[in-house]
Amino acid sequence: MHKSKSMYPYYLVLPALLVYFIFFAFPALIGFYYSFTDWRLDRTTIQFIGWANFERIFSDKILLLAIKNTLIFAVVTVIGKNVLGLLLALGLNMKLKTRNLLRAIYFTPSILSILVISIVFTPILRTEGMLNGLFEWLGFESLAQAWLTNPSIVIWTISAVAIWQGAGFQMTIYLAGLQGISKEYYEAAKIDGASGWRSFWNITLPLLLPALNINLMLTLIGGLKVFSEVYVLTGGGPGNASQVVGTIILRAFGEGNWGLGTAVNTLLFVCVAIIAVPLIIFMRRKEVAE
Amino acid sequence: MRRRLKSMTLGLLAGTLALSLAACGTAKNTDNEGGQTSGGSSKVTLELAISKSSQDSPFIADWLIEEFEQETGIKINLQLIPAEQSTTVLQTKLAVDEVPDLIQYNLASAVTDLNLERNFEILDNEPWVSRIQNPDVLSAFGHIYGFHVSQDTGMQGVVYNKDIFEELGLSIPKNYEEFLAVCEAIKAAGYTPVFMPYKDAWAANIWPAAAFADWAAKNDPTLFDDLNSNKKQWTDIPAFEEILEQQYQIYKLGYTNADVLADSYDMAVGKFLSKEVAMMFMGDWLIQNITSQDPSMNIGLFAIPYAEDPSIGASPLGGQLFIPKKSKHIEEAKKYLEFIASPEIAQRIVDAESYVSNLSDVTTPEQPEYKQEIIDNYITPKKVTLTMDAHMIVDQNEWYRNLQDQFTGMITPKEALANWNEKFQELMKDKGAEGF
Repeated sequence: MHKSKSMYPYYLVLPALLVYFIFFAFPALIGFYYSFTDWRLDRTTIQFIGWANFERIFSDKILLLAIKNTLIFAVVTVIGKNVLGLLLALGLNMKLKTRNLLRAIYFTPSILSILVISIVFTPILRTEGMLNGLFEWLGFESLAQAWLTNPSIVIWTISAVAIWQGAGFQMTIYLAGLQGISKEYYEAAKIDGASGWRSFWNITLPLLLPALNINLMLTLIGGLKVFSEVYVLTGGGPGNASQVVGTIILRAFGEGNWGLGTAVNTLLFVCVAIIAVPLIIFMRRKEVAE
Repeated sequence: MRRRLKSMTLGLLAGTLALSLAACGTAKNTDNEGGQTSGGSSKVTLELAISKSSQDSPFIADWLIEEFEQETGIKINLQLIPAEQSTTVLQTKLAVDEVPDLIQYNLASAVTDLNLERNFEILDNEPWVSRIQNPDVLSAFGHIYGFHVSQDTGMQGVVYNKDIFEELGLSIPKNYEEFLAVCEAIKAAGYTPVFMPYKDAWAANIWPAAAFADWAAKNDPTLFDDLNSNKKQWTDIPAFEEILEQQYQIYKLGYTNADVLADSYDMAVGKFLSKEVAMMFMGDWLIQNITSQDPSMNIGLFAIPYAEDPSIGASPLGGQLFIPKKSKHIEEAKKYLEFIASPEIAQRIVDAESYVSNLSDVTTPEQPEYKQEIIDNYITPKKVTLTMDAHMIVDQNEWYRNLQDQFTGMITPKEALANWNEKFQELMKDKGAEGF
């Protein structure tokens, strides 16, 4: 036991640590500094301006809208991707003849480029597009919407597209988790007369917690950092209706306001850390060893 | 002991890494400097950065670069930058002093995006300057910064299908009421009168940019200076509200494509080719795009008919070459401009591109029909106004977003102007403009 430990000395992590420090930690720290400056396209000198950038973030109604949209997107996609991913995994863990084919089909969207997805979905979601056409054909005209151009629903539409794309990836992680659960538990439960629902609740779910944790983490962090889905589907529009924090950073940089852009980025980093770290600790405690 | 070993290993590792990085660095450096030291300027390679969307620019044509190298021994290396990132990439390159020797960009955007005064060489004393006929299209802040052999700035207005007009017996509308009547007639004949691709927010700016500028030129000539020095507010001008309302009315009256916020600019050429639409508010570059696909298309341009007898909007000239101050090969870069400006070379470019020549000893070739019409109807009678874009010194994307927002029906023209006024104040203050 002791021997195997000394086989890989600690200093072997140094190269990785060094690369991590040079290319991630160090630039991130510089970023923190720049978020307190008036660094701009047209300034020759950079001045420390304290919290001014952050004050501006919280007094700008478009930035506040972007934060609201980001939270909506994060919550909706975390729930959607995980519920759908888990259901798909449970279904495709059963003995179906076509299950390998189906797994591949459900996984496909997550390997597609987001650009392809935008090209596919833009015509579907147009006002006179295929989705509304389908509703009309089915006799549900009232459900037809301007999916991507109505400011009050556009962020929900983008979330739905993200769920469609992402659920398959979550499914694979749940599938891996499900396949790691020994059949004996279910047999024992069956002998004890447990219902399907009960064995899901008392066996599957607790033993699936590691997979659930990693999925929640991935979807939550991905949701808070959302950029490409919004950028390719609406560019933050119409107007500013679907701006999220990621696209706001781009907007600030585009206006030559690099200090402000970095400040929004720092804020996003801190928010993700504040939400994610306690969540990881909390969920780790709930995990059970098989 | 163990600790010492650890720190030794660390030192060794860091050393190796540093060495390998340094090695890469030196290898690259010798490559660059070697040429300079051994053969003077004869083996210099100029880096020319250009957006991928401008890859057909005559200034980077293969024959031109080849002949330049043959004559001077100076090589040109092209850096093609993805179109949507060109501003950011160039801003970054300039900020970290990793500058190309030549940059192709638009003069007006170079003022707002690239800090023209700080980053670029003044070209007032170049030999070709004395032959330039219209220095305005190359100048900012009283100096020549850009280089181009053309002075044709491109015009903005209503691009229209002349065949449809002829078929329905329509003539060019001279005011807003006539324009609505034309729309009605076109709609009745089963065509979409106006194509509005306002998923691309900037496209919603063509109507107001030309109309605002024409209104200001006729009613308040110092208006844009007053706006830029905070003596007037965007919300002070009722005519602006009316102009925005007009564009929205055209949509509301059903004279446009149904889904204006879902359709994008790249669909425009197709819509004209298929004769689905009759008109669009755009620049004459669209005409070129349409006729290059199908030379039989009969397309023209008239002024934005927001009021009686409007003048046509002139875009600021684009596609100039600039030399960054921090270029390591300024002299060689200037040689390239000189080479392009030489009468023989410039004539070849002007002929090939049908440019309106900006050099006194280079003749303008015969213009395509639509251009000749613009010259006859607008340029010769001096009915041309620079659009609003030429007067703006800050990023206008937020303005475009407000115009787009107007078409969601969520904000009125008044609110759009008020929002922009607020953002404009902020941007000007950030820029350090006087009066804000």
